[in-house]
Amino acid sequence: MARRKVLLAPMDPVHDVGLKLVQRALDAAGHSTLRLPPDLSAEEIVSRAIEYQPDTVLVGRTLGYNVPEVLARLVDLMEAAGMRSRVRLGVGGMAIRPELAAELGYDRGFGPGTSPEEALAFVEGREPQPPAAAQTLEKPDLTAGYGYLAKDREVATSLEAIATAAVAWGKARTSPGVERARLRRRLLAAEAGAGAGDGRVPESAEALRRAYVRECDPPIRAFYEGTGPVGKTRPLSPDEIAALAAAADPGGFERRRVRHLQTRPRVFVQYGTGCPVMDSAHNRVAEAWGADGLVHFDPSWAARTEGLIEGHHSHEEDGTLLTLANLRSIGRARLSGTLWQVRAHRGLNTPEIVVLAAAAGADLTKVNPVYGSLGAGTDPERLVVDGVECLSLAAAAGLPLDVVTNEELCGVPAGKAFAGMLIIAAMAVHLGGRPILQPLFCLSPDVMVTGRMDDNFVDYNMAKVMALRQLYDAPIWPGAPIGFLTHTEDRVQSATSTALHAAIAVSLEVDAITIASADEAYSGGSIAAASRVDTLLATAEAFRFLGSAKVAPTPRAREWADELVAQIKDTLRRILERPSLVDALYAGVLGSPADGVYPGRAGRGTVRLR
Amino acid sequence: MRAVDRVLDAIDLETVLLAEDERSARRLAFQLAKELGLTDADIVALEWRANMARVRVRGYIHRPGHHYTWLGQTAR
Repeated sequence: MARRKVLLAPMDPVHDVGLKLVQRALDAAGHSTLRLPPDLSAEEIVSRAIEYQPDTVLVGRTLGYNVPEVLARLVDLMEAAGMRSRVRLGVGGMAIRPELAAELGYDRGFGPGTSPEEALAFVEGREPQPPAAAQTLEKPDLTAGYGYLAKDREVATSLEAIATAAVAWGKARTSPGVERARLRRRLLAAEAGAGAGDGRVPESAEALRRAYVRECDPPIRAFYEGTGPVGKTRPLSPDEIAALAAAADPGGFERRRVRHLQTRPRVFVQYGTGCPVMDSAHNRVAEAWGADGLVHFDPSWAARTEGLIEGHHSHEEDGTLLTLANLRSIGRARLSGTLWQVRAHRGLNTPEIVVLAAAAGADLTKVNPVYGSLGAGTDPERLVVDGVECLSLAAAAGLPLDVVTNEELCGVPAGKAFAGMLIIAAMAVHLGGRPILQPLFCLSPDVMVTGRMDDNFVDYNMAKVMALRQLYDAPIWPGAPIGFLTHTEDRVQSATSTALHAAIAVSLEVDAITIASADEAYSGGSIAAASRVDTLLATAEAFRFLGSAKVAPTPRAREWADELVAQIKDTLRRILERPSLVDALYAGVLGSPADGVYPGRAGRGTVRLR
Repeated sequence: MRAVDRVLDAIDLETVLLAEDERSARRLAFQLAKELGLTDADIVALEWRANMARVRVRGYIHRPGHHYTWLGQTAR
């Protein structure tokens, strides 16, 4: 690279910080620079340029008045001095827009937010290089480094006893959901021309599909028999499917950096507009603005229907249908470094969803039979049986899973919800899996009643993480989304609330967070892509604001953490007094009608002994 | 191609409307959307105080599942 001679001239009374930064970059790159003092006239700048004979002149302008007149005068004088044709001329600053610079005769205009690298690239006559951190994103293992050991002897003993018994209980039983998952695995193997992994010849896909359909509810059967569509769905058109295929990772895509100095937490966003094409477009927006991970949302009715349809389909309402074709297309459209979670936590198709998630290349899944049976309407017995199968399938596929505690949103106190979460985590570990704890950062009904957030939103949220860390060595991924029930329809309030909860999360050095869009509280229509940008920008700002500093709770957080530990232990003791985990769920030990939850009914009576 | 055909999903209008009460503000917000050609509009947020309303009106250009004029032109 030839050494350049650059004259830098601030055309303001005082503002020259931007040019100082540019000069530093030019000097570091080995160029010769001369920075003039502020507040010189255009005539004085040209006079100095005649003396210095630069290759490039960079001028700065921050103040917004008389900008066209001042800048045009400089161009005119340079032309009059015979310099303009041999000197490259750039202008930057808060008052500059590239369109204005071009109109006034400058070779380049640099607006607000320009990096020194961009100015350096202009001087050197090349394209700017994106920052190294923005070019690539390593896909991390959120569970790396955790031992999954209970740190408290009583909790360790209780979890071992409850989890061992629950796994054995579940493995002794089956359900239509379990059977469909097994049929789906065989079907996928048959369609791939392979055996089911047991050395046998490939089976007949048609026969397997017929067996699958026999285990489905009538609307799903009607789909396979070609006698009717399912709900408000329609098949994607060929051009929509082609657009999905074309949305694959283009390579070299530049993401905005969401974290500042921190390596954690990874930031997940949720998608599920109903349309896989729109989802992929929204996901690309989220990735561009720094999201590390994507979480698939499916329709709530699908969780209450036995069986899943096949093919590419759009859904008119919220939630994108879980089909292998939809998942594969959405998954392929994500950037290579993006983590992807497909949830299997609450309904009648949970084991099969894990099969599909693994087949589609998902990185994570989500399982919690306790929440699903108390807060999402599925029968406890059924969901424990299906949950054991889910955990086994996830472990076999190497899929880490988060254990969500959304029953807290229904009114269950956090201590009870955490006991359920730790049991499912222990069951996952028992089956060889890698669970991630998902406490909620939320203004829950229980918190409202007890007034624990009357003063601030910091202490109780931090207490949750402190309590879990006191008891169990596992990754923590607050969600979902953080700040649940604190958001309003105002986008500034909503994004700010997300950012402040993200500030708590980064202070606690948790492994991941899920954030809402700024449309979190808006229920009148689908989320707009711009609202996803709002919260990602706000979260990035919180991370930048804090850097390595931290939000500090008051002493109440420690007291509440101790209280949560006591609640968790008490709940575990009460479960041990019952014949089984399933019995404890029906009896309300992990959440009762008084708390606001009821054992679900979907799938009741469908469990049978193997 | 028109610029509006490149809108991914929706256009949000944010402004302050002068209105004597919240009901009037809501009516004006919908009217504003209509005057600007946003036929599929909804109020995302509206806060009325002292004869003024801070409002965010959304006009959907493409709802999920509809035919997208930008199909095949996702960001690269």
